[in-house]
Amino acid sequence: MKIYSIAFQSLRRRKAKTIFLIVGLFLSVASVVTLITVSENINKSVAINLDEFGANIIITPKSDQLMINYGGLSLGEVSFNSSPLSENDLQKINTIKNRKNLSIISPKLFETVNLKGKNALIAGVRFPEELKLKKWWVINGKSPSFPNNLLAGSNTAEALKIKVNDTLVINEQQFVVSGILSNTGSQDDGLIFMDILTAQTLFHKPSKLSLIEIAALCYDCPIEEIVSQTSSVLPTANVTPIKQNIESKMMAVHSFERFSIGISLVMLVTSFLIVFANVNASVTERTKEIGIFKSVGYRKSHILKIILTEVIAASLTAGLLGFLAGISAAKLVLPFLSMHGITSFTYNFTTLPIAVLLSLFVGITACIYPAIKASRLDPTAAFRFI
Amino acid sequence: MSLIEIENVSKEYKSGTEIVTAVNNISLEIDRSQFITIMGESGSGKSTLLTMLGGLSVPTKGKVLIDDLNIYALPQNNLSDFRREYLGFVFQAFHLIPYLTVEENVMVPLAVGDLNKQQKKEIVYATLDKVHLKEKSKRLINELSGGEQQRVAIARALINDPLIILADEPTGNLDSKTSEDIMDIFGFLVEEGKTILLVTHNKVYQSYADKKIFLKDGKINGGD
Repeated sequence: MKIYSIAFQSLRRRKAKTIFLIVGLFLSVASVVTLITVSENINKSVAINLDEFGANIIITPKSDQLMINYGGLSLGEVSFNSSPLSENDLQKINTIKNRKNLSIISPKLFETVNLKGKNALIAGVRFPEELKLKKWWVINGKSPSFPNNLLAGSNTAEALKIKVNDTLVINEQQFVVSGILSNTGSQDDGLIFMDILTAQTLFHKPSKLSLIEIAALCYDCPIEEIVSQTSSVLPTANVTPIKQNIESKMMAVHSFERFSIGISLVMLVTSFLIVFANVNASVTERTKEIGIFKSVGYRKSHILKIILTEVIAASLTAGLLGFLAGISAAKLVLPFLSMHGITSFTYNFTTLPIAVLLSLFVGITACIYPAIKASRLDPTAAFRFI
Repeated sequence: MSLIEIENVSKEYKSGTEIVTAVNNISLEIDRSQFITIMGESGSGKSTLLTMLGGLSVPTKGKVLIDDLNIYALPQNNLSDFRREYLGFVFQAFHLIPYLTVEENVMVPLAVGDLNKQQKKEIVYATLDKVHLKEKSKRLINELSGGEQQRVAIARALINDPLIILADEPTGNLDSKTSEDIMDIFGFLVEEGKTILLVTHNKVYQSYADKKIFLKDGKINGGD
């Protein structure tokens, strides 16, 4: 029999107290693991959903002059650029290392035209990608489904007095307004959207592009990395991350993390108090036992070793069980917390050492004072207690 | 040279605002292999004297020398080691550890030693044999009678082969037949060379003693 055998026998044969000690730690570890796992999964979900709520990278031709603004971004010399973007650039973008993170690539061609005596800006787009990129669009009428369909922004429609199903003639070609956008508060209100292939043919700019909008899923990779990779394949273009979008996304992502950390801290403090109260009460209750150990010649360090071994064993058990319970609880809870639905549940095995270390940290720090108190106990006080 | 020398030992402690003198300037010498009984009324200082002899309670003044060592001049760890090697305690209420078996209780003092598992087992079984409890070595404490529990406590006190056994009313909770058995064990241990200091109220046990000490109000009040 060694010192630690006494500690293990104490844990084994004083089952109720051992279970109470383990449960105190287990609850906090399980809660923290649940929160970490739920937080990771929700962050991922939020990041993916927000990425799909708009572009976070814009690619424009390199230019010295700022001629047209689109959403606060310069489009450069859209009409007169000597090296505009082209369809080939889309293929190059799809060769970057993080191409799997590129959720939507939406090319655009801009051209100014004169309609009913007023200047208007035509945006040639790929409607399937554009509609996916701009999920907030509300269309009065129908989405364009034919090459001669147009979608008018609200301000343009009002200024040009355009209604759904109106016919417009652009460069001697007839178009039908299939829908009008409700006010978006963005640059889109001042545009008229057209199929990009039609626009390229109509304005004699085959394969040419004015800009490319990209929605990147950057949960597990930094947006700067995607920007850098894209820049390297498009050396003659400006690749710009939209900071505002990224920052607001990151704020949303981090808000749940902060909430989780807050709850975790509360749980850890509660657990600390439970373990502290438990070990402290146990020391008082075991005054007689500690007196016996002292009378048979145990040193302070021996008493400390017995109490610490008990707490460490209980903490390791609680850490392991807490990890398993936390992962299971996260899996159960997640579907009720997710706003957009989570396609796949993932958990990180690094949470296991975190759970065990956390449990050990709480257990050991909570028992240090009672253990030192026990080791310093005056044996005659123990015998008076007897 | 005496095994135990107590020189002008006093012990005072505070009780509220009052200072109580539990042991008052006692000096005595005890030789090896002696059976000493310490008697006196409740509060006479018997148990306090015993705990001071056992290195568990520092005297307010005076010296306790065991085997020529001033035990209270030793550092804490050395005093603990000294207790483990020189002394064995037996208490009225047995003071066994309830979650350990008979064998484990007896082995507790060996848990901090250097012996291997087999050596420990051999010593434990030899010691349990001395107190006739070998066959109950795997039992838990609450499965034993009072007399058996006290024999386990005696075995634990003997496990490190100490020179001195300090027994504080060891038969106080036992019937007369069982008490006699315990006293016979003590008698046998003295024959083996142990020195026994027995605190008791029972005058019958004076017959076992080589030396009798009577205490009254913390002072020696007779004996031989």
